[in-house]
Amino acid sequence: MSLIEVKDVTFSYNGTRNAVDGVSFDIEKGSYVTIIGHNGSGKSTMAKLIAGLLPIKKGKIVIDGDEVNEENIAMIRNKLGIVFQNPDNQFIGSTVKDDIAFGLENKMVESEKMPAIIEEYANKVGLSAFLNYEPQNLSGGQKQRVAIAGILAMHPSILIFDEATSMLDPKGKKEIKQLMYELSGDDEITIISITHDIEEVLQSDDCIVLNKGKIFMHGKPEAVFKEPEKLREIDLDIPFVEQTREAFGKYKIRLKSDDLKGMVDELCRYRSNH
Amino acid sequence: MNNLVFGKYIPIDSLIHRLDPRAKLIGLFLMIAAVFIPKSWIAFLVIGVMIAIALLLAKIGIKMIVQSFKPMIVMLLFLMLINSLSIKTGYVLFSIGTFDVYSDAIFNTLFVIVRLLLMISITTLLTATTNPLDLTLGIEWMLKPLQVVHFPAHEVAMMVSIALRFIPTIIEETMRIMNAQKSRGVDFENGKLSEKISAILSLIVPLFSVAFERAYELADAMEARGYVPGAQRTRYHVLKFNFLDYLFIFICLLVMVFSILSRFYL
Repeated sequence: MSLIEVKDVTFSYNGTRNAVDGVSFDIEKGSYVTIIGHNGSGKSTMAKLIAGLLPIKKGKIVIDGDEVNEENIAMIRNKLGIVFQNPDNQFIGSTVKDDIAFGLENKMVESEKMPAIIEEYANKVGLSAFLNYEPQNLSGGQKQRVAIAGILAMHPSILIFDEATSMLDPKGKKEIKQLMYELSGDDEITIISITHDIEEVLQSDDCIVLNKGKIFMHGKPEAVFKEPEKLREIDLDIPFVEQTREAFGKYKIRLKSDDLKGMVDELCRYRSNH
Repeated sequence: MNNLVFGKYIPIDSLIHRLDPRAKLIGLFLMIAAVFIPKSWIAFLVIGVMIAIALLLAKIGIKMIVQSFKPMIVMLLFLMLINSLSIKTGYVLFSIGTFDVYSDAIFNTLFVIVRLLLMISITTLLTATTNPLDLTLGIEWMLKPLQVVHFPAHEVAMMVSIALRFIPTIIEETMRIMNAQKSRGVDFENGKLSEKISAILSLIVPLFSVAFERAYELADAMEARGYVPGAQRTRYHVLKFNFLDYLFIFICLLVMVFSILSRFYL
């Protein structure tokens, strides 16, 4: 049994157009899954449906054996954390430590135990020196790290990143991605990342491509990017490695490696062989 | 927006800063009552000295009180004028032409001025030494008895603390929208009234639409982190009364008792 099972889910905001249209997929425990697609492809809606922030009217989502519905929602929220796009609009507390405490308060953690937990998770995201800072004195990347700390402190087994890096500067993006890669190494944590960042997709175990609310492609990122024509069809970017492969393909040079270094090696050998 | 002095928190460390916000709130109510009761100058002098000591302990400069008082001067001058015209008791203090100004008119106004000054000092003492979040916690504690009649004290406190948290964010947003509109040729400073109104509208409409968007996203974020309105929660900040807090309330109580007694004996 997979950790998350999405079965034939359909959702519409206004009743005329389906934002998510008959989507089914499974996510294994401990995996790192990326969901890509254009704006309006339904990827953020998908995240909100999994997190139980939108009501599922057609189809069903099962997390760890429990169906996501009104009844189970509290239990499911306990297992799942979501980092949103806008760093400002998810900072609830007035300082870093208050924000990390917010989830703990909801989880009924005893007051005496909170400072140690806050310290631990602030440290984990590298913000232990900023505990008393107010949001207006933090950068976007730092605010996102606070959000991640607040969520990790609640021990979720599933982390959803809903375009968590898209509003950050390059430095902030790099920091958050680094943190995500570190977290993906933990077998107890399953990560679902909704992203536009093709380089990030290459780091993931599994990639789901959505288009107009439907699953367009689903598989290992390498396999998905092996079909650049299909991706171009729906105006998605192609990673540099695949662009390189394609460009050389036009000259009948077939490169097999999946990373740049391997390609360079191949090319060197190619020259000596011909 | 930065010259707003009244009600501003001064983040320094002092004896008064360290007091429990609940003790300070109780003290505030007792002292305000104490300021309104007496009718003798000696009583005001005693209360004034007590407040001055508290201001000194809290490291609040007299400049801050004066600045908070400034906006009220026009109103007080007006009060002086009305009193001079209407109060005709006491003895004639001086005359302007054929118009007599009576002593009670002047003394009554002076009473109001002194009371106002003392009140401003007391509220400044509270707001300048208490971080808004602690103040919210204190107010929540004071509203707790109302939960018997299903008053949502905790939810109100949560709303206030979120509002406080978002004030700087919204100010920043306002500045950004103003600059964006200015760069598109909107003039906020000059022009006729109708032009000014439409300029302000070009600020308010996007500001509101962004604020609503923020509110939705924040609600999602809160829900996703397990917040259920009305549900039981534990608290990170736990308020604790110390010896000094009891002492502070006791002193305030003494001042109030003194001011009641002053009505009879002074």
